[in-house]
Amino acid sequence: MPEEPYNPSPIGNPSVLARRNWWQTTLVKFIGKHTPKCREMVRILSQSMDEPMPLGMRVKKRLHFLICCWCQRYEEQLVYLRQTARQFPGHADEASDAEFSSEARERIRQKIAESTH
Amino acid sequence: MNISDIQTAASRWVDDHGECLYRYALVRVRKPEVAEDLVQETFLAAVRGYDKFGGRSSERSWLVGILKNKIVDRFRKLGRETSFTDTEFLSDEFSEKFVSIGFWNHDLGPHEWKPEPDAVMHRTEFWQVMGDCLSKLPEKIRAVFTMREMDEVPSKEICAILSISDSNLWVMLHRARMALRECLEMNWFDTPAGGTV
Repeated sequence: MPEEPYNPSPIGNPSVLARRNWWQTTLVKFIGKHTPKCREMVRILSQSMDEPMPLGMRVKKRLHFLICCWCQRYEEQLVYLRQTARQFPGHADEASDAEFSSEARERIRQKIAESTH
Repeated sequence: MNISDIQTAASRWVDDHGECLYRYALVRVRKPEVAEDLVQETFLAAVRGYDKFGGRSSERSWLVGILKNKIVDRFRKLGRETSFTDTEFLSDEFSEKFVSIGFWNHDLGPHEWKPEPDAVMHRTEFWQVMGDCLSKLPEKIRAVFTMREMDEVPSKEICAILSISDSNLWVMLHRARMALRECLEMNWFDTPAGGTV
């Protein structure tokens, strides 16, 4: 049976240290020690949605993603949130069944008529 | 276009887009009477500015654009009257999701989100879940998040509009994103409708 290819960030693998040899374990521990912890990383990722991330931090982020598929997913999901949130206003009529009352419609029509006279 | 044409068009807008605008405003401000006022102001502004609408975008996006400005104006006014800072919400930032040294607790970390954004855009249920999740956010957090992500207001401008500091804005946005991400995952992506399971 061919050996499974080495995947530094196996999706669905419950542990970043699983299925790794001594060198790989050492590397993962090294990256873990020298890049922000996930709790801090998610805060940094959120901030990077609002202002550019400095180059040094971008490098650390890339390294961190090598050992952490969760933070990588988190970043992808922040982009997902942004993309869908921007589309939300055009789909707002699908988002709830709150009724825009006929009284309100009538009142607005009245105001429009007044404003154009 | 003469006045009666504009009136006829405006009357049609109320039927065609009134409900969408109202429901959108309601997600943003929650109070029905305030939402109705915002929709009314939107239509009146649309009538006044009809000459400027060159048909470059759809009527709906043009009207939504006006409504967004009206909402931002409202928040600007509120920002002058009350403090918009809320650093209490989610102050533990889902600490149970992380082990003590700060890495993700692997069982509780983000799941994979299967359908691409393009695929969910056509799903009514997705927008319902999104609307519910937004409504669960506290008012100030929701105001900040929706201005940033829906109205696409730059963060510096939000700070100026609401009179809050950069760092407070980042804390609030971070917590809003965390809570919304979690809510969407639980109520959409991890359900059969969302397609992850």
